[in-house]
Amino acid sequence: MICYLGVDIGSVSSNFVLVDQRGKVREKIYLRTQGNPVKAIREGYMKIKEGIEGKIDIRGVGTTGSGRHLASILLGADIVKNEITAHAVAASYLYPDVRTIIEIGGQDSKIIIMENGIVTDFAMNTVCAAGTGSFLDQQAARLNIPIEDFGRKAVASSQPVRIAGRCGVFAESDMIHKQQMGYPVEDILMGLCEALVRNYMNNVAKGKRIAEPVVFQGGVAANIGLRKAFEKFLGCRVIVPEHYNVMGAIGAAILAKEYVEGYGRRSLFKGDDFILTGDFVSQSFTCNGCANLCEVVCIKRDDTPLAYWGDRCLRWESSLGRGSRENLKVV
Amino acid sequence: MKKVGIPQGLFYYYYYPLWEAFFRFLGLVVVRSSPTNKKIVDDGVTLAVDEACFPIKVYYGHVNELKGKGVDYIFLPRLVSIEPKSYICPKFMGLPDMIRAGIKDLPEVIDITVDLSRGDKGWQKELARLGKILNVNYRQIKKAYNYALEEYFSYRMIARQGYTRDEAIKVWQGEEISLPLDTPLHIGVLGHGYSLYDDFISMSVIKKLRGMGVKVYLSEHLPTEGIEKEASTLPKRVFWTLGRKMVGSALYMDKSPDIDGIIYVACFGCGPDSLIGEVIERKVKKPFMLLTLDEHTGEGGIITRLEAFCDMLARRKKRDEGYLPCYG
Repeated sequence: MICYLGVDIGSVSSNFVLVDQRGKVREKIYLRTQGNPVKAIREGYMKIKEGIEGKIDIRGVGTTGSGRHLASILLGADIVKNEITAHAVAASYLYPDVRTIIEIGGQDSKIIIMENGIVTDFAMNTVCAAGTGSFLDQQAARLNIPIEDFGRKAVASSQPVRIAGRCGVFAESDMIHKQQMGYPVEDILMGLCEALVRNYMNNVAKGKRIAEPVVFQGGVAANIGLRKAFEKFLGCRVIVPEHYNVMGAIGAAILAKEYVEGYGRRSLFKGDDFILTGDFVSQSFTCNGCANLCEVVCIKRDDTPLAYWGDRCLRWESSLGRGSRENLKVV
Repeated sequence: MKKVGIPQGLFYYYYYPLWEAFFRFLGLVVVRSSPTNKKIVDDGVTLAVDEACFPIKVYYGHVNELKGKGVDYIFLPRLVSIEPKSYICPKFMGLPDMIRAGIKDLPEVIDITVDLSRGDKGWQKELARLGKILNVNYRQIKKAYNYALEEYFSYRMIARQGYTRDEAIKVWQGEEISLPLDTPLHIGVLGHGYSLYDDFISMSVIKKLRGMGVKVYLSEHLPTEGIEKEASTLPKRVFWTLGRKMVGSALYMDKSPDIDGIIYVACFGCGPDSLIGEVIERKVKKPFMLLTLDEHTGEGGIITRLEAFCDMLARRKKRDEGYLPCYG
């Protein structure tokens, strides 16, 4: 089967999809990155291949997410794209008339405004990660509720309590206060969902006109409590796509497919031997070349350095003798 | 020959040629601190008060480095106002005092007050005081100042051609830097010069954009009258000099047909930025992005935002030209 691989290496999860020639998702894998993206990339690649019967022929690879450059080195990517473009491509591929995309991941939350399949405006959370997946994870762990049950429990609430939404630290102390006063846990959870929606609307979506259809994606879209809270706030239906948690990867795969097909290029995909055998290690060191003392990271396969980054002057990066960031060019 | 140290931070980017030419004319040797590096930043953050904005903290680091360079004077002007009825951020008013309180055993500090808010009179007095500090008569001081102004204007003309202030200083000093080539995407980038043109503080935002194939427009490249005219359309006059220039530049860029989008680079701890950024965001009709910087060195967030912004502009442009491949 001819297919295209899309990979989204995020702060919390690493996602993989294979789409076929018609752009249909054939297989998807959602893994926790657990602080080790190199391991997650290999594991994800292995698993996604196992999930498909028969021989597969990967004709293109696209990577996105904060680990997109690392993934592109390990897998050999044809296209390396930022998360916003990847999410927008995936959403407008599945819902061509989408106008608003709410995407909440592990560390980021974004709003993307679309018009006729084109991003016309977007915003991301600035310096605050309140209301993103990792905050929810942390609160669920504190209340000893598996994150998977969070949403289900929250929607059981009949009377959500009011929780401060401005800041994650305030929200937490508010939650503890309400919990010690004896409010049922469901009401606190739903209150938190509503607080996070208020926070999102004030900080991320501020001033933007939210038009239907609204698509809610990213790992946090699994939380039905948040979806309900968004619907209540916006007063309209919020669509959660079937593959909500791997939309970035779908976008990357579609971009790779169109890129490879559009230019009639041979893929840079490295193949099984390269990815599955050999030892990938990342090392970091402080470069003493100048007073900047850059923290340089080196990715090696066995003893061969594949990539360097973190050096401001590009002295290490360029020592590999090629423009390893050439994919950054947008025009 | 006596040496005077000039920290490479804050208004360095605006006035270095003026200061350097002035002291050089009077026979002093000018010593600069190094371009901002990690050590300067670490020192600055340790020495400075916590409430200060990041560029002020970095400035402490620059002064600290100069202290060890054996200079006779350190030049820390007290900038209150550089034009009538407008002011520089109040932190600059207290800067020499803050620095003296934070860093011990400094060489002699030249802390002349620049306050042109009520005209020229006080400034002449300060120049005379400067003469006393340097032991030079007033006529020499005036001559040096006039010479420095000429040099300063030539530097401004260099910047106007399409350089950043940082590059313009280098070109003014005789370095050869070729102007960036014209590329299909044009983005206006605004921010306080001391954040924007300091590659460490801004994480090289301008270089990154150029690397992505963008031609960057800066407020230095726009006609002054045009900026002022646009700034005067606000219902209330902005009394911060730099803030007013930024609002004016943003509105001017908003009207220029060859600029596709505008990026505003703000510092997290900056009071004026929090207001000016908001004013601009509300007024501007073109695609606009606010980038907030602080002490973090993780570049991922900045790169993602810049890339996404460029992608968006490029794809919009292609759509308007009736050609749109999905892969950008």
